[in-house]
Amino acid sequence: MAKSFDKSGTKFWKSLKDYYDDPEILKKKANEFNDGVTDDFDPDQLSKLSRRKFLALLTASAAFTATSCTDYRDKGEIVPYNQRPEEILPGKANYYASTCKGCELECGILVKTREGRPIKIDGNPEHPVSKGKICAKGQASILNLYDPERLSEPMIQNSAVSWKKVDSEIIKALKNAAESKGEIAIVSQILNSPSTLKAIEEFKKAYPTTKVYYYEFMGDAAKKNAWEKCYGSSSLPSVKLNEANIILSLESDFLGREGNYIENTRLYAERKDILKGTDFNKLYVVEGGMSLTGMNADIRLRLKPEYQTEFLLSLINELVSGNKVPAEFRTGEVLNTVGGYSLKNFASKHNLDENKLSGLVNDLVENKGKSIVFAGDTMPEEVHVLTNLLNEILGNTALYDFSSNHVKHSAPSSTEEIKQLVQNMKNGSVKVLIHFDSNPVYHLPADLRYEESIKNVQSVVSLSEFPNETTAISSFVLPLNNALESWGDSLVRSNVMTFQQPVIAPIFKTREKEAILLTWANGNAESYKFDIYHKFVQNNFKKEVYSGGDFAEDFNSVWFSALHDGFVELDGKQSKAKFNVSSVSGIKPSAKEGITLHLQKNYYLGDGKFSNNGWLQEIPHPVTKVTWDNFAAVSLSTAEKLGVTFNDMIKINANGTELELPVMMQPGMADDLIVVELGYGRKNSGEVANDVGFNANVFLKSAMASPFVLQAVNVSKTGNVYKLVSTQEHNFLVDPSLRDFHKIRKIIFEGTLEEYEKDPKFLKEGEKVLKGITREHKYTGLKWGMAIDLNKCTSCGICVASCNVENNIPVVGKDQVEVGREMQWMRIDRYYSGTPEDPQVSNQPMLCQHCDNAPCENVCPVNATNHSPDGLNQMVYNRCVGTRYCANNCPYKVRRFNFFDFRDHFADAYYQNDITALAHNPEVTVRSRGVMEKCTFCIQRIMEARQDAIREGRELKGTDVQTACQQACPSDAIIFGDINDPNSEVSKYRNHDIGYHVLEELYVKPNITYMAKLRNTRSEDV
Amino acid sequence: MNNKLLDYALRVRLPITLFVVALAFTITFYVSRAERDGIGYQPDQPINYSHKLHAGDLQIDCQYCHTGVTKGRHALVPSVNICMNCHTIARKDKPEIIKLTEYYKSGKLLPWKRVHKVPDYAYFNHSVHVNKGIKCETCHGDPRKMDKIEQVKNFNMTGCLTCHRNPEKQLPYLADVKKGPENCFACHR
Repeated sequence: MAKSFDKSGTKFWKSLKDYYDDPEILKKKANEFNDGVTDDFDPDQLSKLSRRKFLALLTASAAFTATSCTDYRDKGEIVPYNQRPEEILPGKANYYASTCKGCELECGILVKTREGRPIKIDGNPEHPVSKGKICAKGQASILNLYDPERLSEPMIQNSAVSWKKVDSEIIKALKNAAESKGEIAIVSQILNSPSTLKAIEEFKKAYPTTKVYYYEFMGDAAKKNAWEKCYGSSSLPSVKLNEANIILSLESDFLGREGNYIENTRLYAERKDILKGTDFNKLYVVEGGMSLTGMNADIRLRLKPEYQTEFLLSLINELVSGNKVPAEFRTGEVLNTVGGYSLKNFASKHNLDENKLSGLVNDLVENKGKSIVFAGDTMPEEVHVLTNLLNEILGNTALYDFSSNHVKHSAPSSTEEIKQLVQNMKNGSVKVLIHFDSNPVYHLPADLRYEESIKNVQSVVSLSEFPNETTAISSFVLPLNNALESWGDSLVRSNVMTFQQPVIAPIFKTREKEAILLTWANGNAESYKFDIYHKFVQNNFKKEVYSGGDFAEDFNSVWFSALHDGFVELDGKQSKAKFNVSSVSGIKPSAKEGITLHLQKNYYLGDGKFSNNGWLQEIPHPVTKVTWDNFAAVSLSTAEKLGVTFNDMIKINANGTELELPVMMQPGMADDLIVVELGYGRKNSGEVANDVGFNANVFLKSAMASPFVLQAVNVSKTGNVYKLVSTQEHNFLVDPSLRDFHKIRKIIFEGTLEEYEKDPKFLKEGEKVLKGITREHKYTGLKWGMAIDLNKCTSCGICVASCNVENNIPVVGKDQVEVGREMQWMRIDRYYSGTPEDPQVSNQPMLCQHCDNAPCENVCPVNATNHSPDGLNQMVYNRCVGTRYCANNCPYKVRRFNFFDFRDHFADAYYQNDITALAHNPEVTVRSRGVMEKCTFCIQRIMEARQDAIREGRELKGTDVQTACQQACPSDAIIFGDINDPNSEVSKYRNHDIGYHVLEELYVKPNITYMAKLRNTRSEDV
Repeated sequence: MNNKLLDYALRVRLPITLFVVALAFTITFYVSRAERDGIGYQPDQPINYSHKLHAGDLQIDCQYCHTGVTKGRHALVPSVNICMNCHTIARKDKPEIIKLTEYYKSGKLLPWKRVHKVPDYAYFNHSVHVNKGIKCETCHGDPRKMDKIEQVKNFNMTGCLTCHRNPEKQLPYLADVKKGPENCFACHR
């Protein structure tokens, strides 16, 4: 880091090492494969067999085959169903609507099943909230169903027993507890299912000494409490984000991990659609760490999280004192609170660009009623109160949608209540402790000493799908059904009730958690029936919804159509309450000097529930692109101050808790700030999850009002070194010998909306007409092509997750990602421009471009890759001999080589088992060692559409096919279709003024068109 | 003397040996071709079912049993309940039908021997062929004349391409026939 800070000439850079032209990076750019990519092929390591033994075995097996094989023509058997279920046609998929139970959003999903086994999960297109989109966790959750480490049978003290035995023992314990007036404690996470809550009520009726404790891990309690304070109502409205011209996010990652970010992304991208016009929204982000939303900001200001209160006070004062808002808010209470805070002083104190700030104020004032302010979930309550006030002042409440409110079922128990529980556990008054699909040992703040107190409880019962920290110290461990094996319902938004139905019979000896409670409530282990909860959900729906609703049909038809659709729409309209101005009084900023630790949610592992899912561990982090780890993200100058660089371990000491973490230097971060993501560092949770990353939950303290922003922490360098693995420096598209490569070769091409409005063709200026020197192949008829709209793309990575599932992409493990052998067919390239302190970020999904003049094709010695008449670059695995010439010649670096049969390579053949193999898409070859692979434009989907077209006797149309990435993209940034059809959407993008091709000058004629990003900034902003 | 012996070995014995080896190879190659391709493969089935009786004499349509053939990739070997549509009444007393009924009643799966198979890495689709009017006999021979089903044509890539390249010759019964796709992704993915 000795080099000076001025720009080194390249406009775009991928990492800090790239920015400073580190020799290591120059080398990486020049070579296709990492150094030493084939070095570790030590024959001893690959197989323990010596050559002699191998030959001996070969001879023996040949002799054996020759003598024993009487019928060498045997082709095996075809075993049809004995009685084929009417709706199942082998080879054809069935789709069932259900509910995703991966997180508290509980989206409506559509599960694709083949011959009775689920193989793909997508959003339910008819669901009014999900609208066909789900997150990466939901996409990849199919692997959880087939996880070989799922709890498979009930256990008492770690030895497997029958359900009957475990049920009767627990019922005995419960009855004893109830008789002796001892407490029965149920510990659960927040529940959104009316039927589950009802089942708990049933249980309480049977055992009246039951107390239920709810907790929330990294929830939005502060936001909800603030809403209650301001409006006296507990249910937040949703936001009509697509009607907002100006969006201001204060530490809120509303596009990446907070609120219903899938819905938010969809609505946000609706206003970034160049085909619909230039009526773009403008996104301001004020944040400390670099978040996914921050990367997409039109204008981004860096501010440490603890200063948000003061920033809001100053901003509101600027609006109020400038008489820019209605008189009702220029009252005593507001003035008393915000008076004395000046935006100008604040800006100069925190080094914020005044131009940008005044632009923000102007934009907010000009777009009264058409802007929205979000505050992050990790912010304290006062920030949310002020945000509510700001939205009121600006009239932005017009964007609140009170017809679809967030329903609040079970409030998290207060810290006092949880403390009381732990106290009761410690003094032995809790007789039975039931962990209702929860993991408090990992989730609850460590200073509660929950883990130690468990020892004094007579019977500890854990209901869980996976082994975890809590099951490890429970005497009774009961395995639960996966969501795809269960019945259920969910009411997250007031206007829609979503249903969950099983799509496969339980694979292991598991049960639904509610069914277990109901059996206990009956007080008889024999009373369990497999449909006990199914009936319960049905009756509950009949009683609570059907009888009170206005339904024309009889109950059965309503029920079955609800299951078919996956949801019923309800009338959940609520009127807006009046803002309680007194709620803002007395708010004062409380920032301390020193380094701040900001604890954040992670992007892909949820509360740790998905830690054992290799696909999700391996999707690169959307900002840093680190896989298989969490880390301490710091800014460049903070790292310099601490005297550390990449991979150095630092020790963070916050309120007496210490943790060592590796450093990740992240461009664009505020100084004196460390951002750490939670959900890592699991124990006892499975082969994949164990000890991946660091458990930063230890920093959570029960007593703090805002547990996620810890101020004035002590940080010291430890001298230890760790190895973080990031794919950010993999697959460089540039040639280090060429300056300004990005501009000349068009990798990232972008401008501002203002420039576009002045001259729509501004990007095409000086464009050369390229001509080929060979006779070119003519493509008549249908020709497949794709367009990716970089204005809409937020780089969330859901396309990568969807592609992984659809195309049987293996998990390779951290050691393999390190040497550049990750197998994902899609990646999101990240480019920075500007300075490392305050960069702009450009994202670009990169996948096989299916070039007309594909450079990979003419170097293949065995013609294993070549071109189809409909414009696809074909890859034939059975022909490939693994020379890797094609990958070497691919300018986009999108080809992936199977250095191993990764299924048997990763973690001692973890994924090589009968159960996990069920997750494979049967329409896609499972590739083995030694072959090259890459994006096929989902050829299996094209062929299926072709088959249907032929059956119906019509021509195949471009709109008949949706690729997996396109289907999953929550912002609809990916468009696929026929580029020879001038009326198709994809050709409109292809011929658009801002459409361009990456590396166009190579004249490889790629078939993916990128829409240049147009930033909604004015020239005076920057 | 030694020279002469070497001379003889090189001039006469070596060429003859090579010739014999090459000839033997060539003859074996061509003679065993059909055998290697699986032509004539006619395994014993768990139930002695006759296509000749059902499809030939009784003229039951192929699709009565092979229900998937116009709908998807697989033609489908009929599930046991399809057999039982008739055989709950018809020929109940015959030993093979008694065997069949046993399978049905016990819910046991009926493991038919596979006769026709394209390699794992090729994705053949019945419906696109049948829906274009290609007859079953074109690939499968005429099951209406087979008591025990037998492989008649070869099921390798040459077999596919013969038709895809010269459909008018191979499928004279189709009036307006276009060439089949010859690109890799048509079968491999």
